[in-house]
Amino acid sequence: MTTPLLEIEDLHARVGEKEIIKGFNLTINPGEVHAIMGPNGAGKSTLSYVLSGKPGYEVTSGSIKFKGKDLLALSPEERAREGIFLCMQYPVEIPGVPMASFLKHSLNAVRKHQNLPELDTVSFMKLLKEEGAKLGINNEMMKRFVNVGFSGGEKKRMETLQMALLKPVFSILDEADSGLDIDALKVVSEGVNSLRNGENSFLVITHYQRLLNYIVPDFVHVFADGHIVKSGNKELALELEESGYAEFIAK
Amino acid sequence: MQNLLQNKPLIGEDVSWLRELRQKGHESFSLPDAKTEYWRYTKLHDIRNTDYVMDVPFYKVKPVNVGLEGYILYFLNGSFSPQHSNLPQGVEVMPLIEAVFTVPEAQKYLGKIADAKIHPFAALNQAYLNEGIYIKIEKNIELKKPLILVHHTHNEGESLFYNLHNLIVLEENAKASLLEYYTYSGQIKSRYFGNHVNEIILAKGAGLNHYKFQDEAFYAVHIALSCAEVDEGAAYSHFCFQKGANLGRDETHIRLLAQGAAANIAAAYKMEGWATLDTTTEIEHLAPQTYSNQLIKGVVGGEAKGVFQGKIHIAPGAVKTEGHQLHKALLLSDNAETDCKPELEIYADDVQCSHGAATGELDKEQLFYMLSRGIGEDEARQILVEAFLDDVLEKLPSAEIREWMKSRVK
Repeated sequence: MTTPLLEIEDLHARVGEKEIIKGFNLTINPGEVHAIMGPNGAGKSTLSYVLSGKPGYEVTSGSIKFKGKDLLALSPEERAREGIFLCMQYPVEIPGVPMASFLKHSLNAVRKHQNLPELDTVSFMKLLKEEGAKLGINNEMMKRFVNVGFSGGEKKRMETLQMALLKPVFSILDEADSGLDIDALKVVSEGVNSLRNGENSFLVITHYQRLLNYIVPDFVHVFADGHIVKSGNKELALELEESGYAEFIAK
Repeated sequence: MQNLLQNKPLIGEDVSWLRELRQKGHESFSLPDAKTEYWRYTKLHDIRNTDYVMDVPFYKVKPVNVGLEGYILYFLNGSFSPQHSNLPQGVEVMPLIEAVFTVPEAQKYLGKIADAKIHPFAALNQAYLNEGIYIKIEKNIELKKPLILVHHTHNEGESLFYNLHNLIVLEENAKASLLEYYTYSGQIKSRYFGNHVNEIILAKGAGLNHYKFQDEAFYAVHIALSCAEVDEGAAYSHFCFQKGANLGRDETHIRLLAQGAAANIAAAYKMEGWATLDTTTEIEHLAPQTYSNQLIKGVVGGEAKGVFQGKIHIAPGAVKTEGHQLHKALLLSDNAETDCKPELEIYADDVQCSHGAATGELDKEQLFYMLSRGIGEDEARQILVEAFLDDVLEKLPSAEIREWMKSRVK
């Protein structure tokens, strides 16, 4: 039997005094795509921040194992280097830091951890040009400051590009479709799908079923009030589209 | 304080106007204290508690390789060092004391641009007026390469105190760039004190880009005053980066004398430990349609303290004038501190003036975004600090000097 990539057991987490995650359980095996759907305010984004180790998101009980090891003992940067990637709903703008330089720092930090040689500027720029072209990102955008003045679609393409460069084994897509038109949605989805290889796993967090037409999940979970209330296959997403989340909230 | 005014034999005591000037400096000087206006935030206990000497043995040291193309004017321990210098042709450059005997500008300007009555350390400097350089760029001459003043202090433990005084004259439509580079070798713990004054005269249409990089030793004291008089249509720009010294002050006092005169200040400071770095500016708009712009940014960590005092004065009648000032500081620790004192004195109508000040910490969202991409915390902080200072450095017009400074900010 293979070790699950991610095992979350009876997780409780809070932000400040407020408990947001309440008894959450989930197991993800290598190569699987899981979708988490739920109403706004259910704690979906909190889950993604707990997994990526954002300060201020405090786990009060339960455990998370990643590749069989205690994930909670790792710092955010160690998690990223181990292969966890959070594709953010609202990518952060960093004035003064050119995109290309940011991506180079990021890729080389991850490569160093994997005992791979760091890329020099020339080979990095070549790689960046190739990977960028696949996502319709031109070189001009790489010279601009990180996410500054980018449209919603451009920001998500950049997130997808980072995913393509870092090749994470576990990607969390937090509302990856928010603010995207249909063309951008397709480009981003293709980017994600190209990383699917039977080894890499994904956790797709979304409010709408639409994204799941492009990134087809193996499992769908309904998330409400801090935990999973129902699980199923991709058909469950279609049912939710019909019926909405009312039955899961009105308790 | 007693030993700041020592009986040091100086050249030119037989020149009466020079003797009087020194005498006036001597009489005007008293060490500022907490009650002295413009010295309230910058404490001088480093100076008060150190016994300075004005002469040190001659050390044979390896000159610093600046790594920039330009005309090098080398100062070692406060003395001009001709053998390490390479002077430009067609430009009048000579040791200040030589200028005292040979050029009329010396008597005309020395002590007139930097007023010993207003600036206590200019008074101290004037009392020892001797070392420094005289530069004159003649009418319509544009100097292609920068003049690079290297101030190299080498110390084996003595607490050296020296004064340097430069007189820089740009005639009508003359253009030049000047870089002052302050560096050191020898004992890092040496407590030397360099007291610097620049008197700068820009005639009609002249332009001077004045760059400065202050990277003095850890316990050094660096006090510098640049006073500029800017005539019609002329522009003086002051680009300063301070990262060294335990006490560092970069003060500029610019007088915009006639229509179209402009002043531009872009300054940054970055320090940790217990240092105090002070940026003080005063810009006097004395004529209509004069312009000034100031951007000052600081990064303060440890127990360090940043000080910014910025005064914009707009004289009666100086209409259609613009004066803008912005100071921003980034505090990296709980014990870091900044004191900020902006002042606007406006005595004319129909002017555009603004000032702003902000103090903040590193943005936690930006930091987490970088960590979540595998970048280590120290590296991420470093990148964010450089990003914060980026727009100051981007104002430097010379790409060579800009890159040279950027590589030294790290």
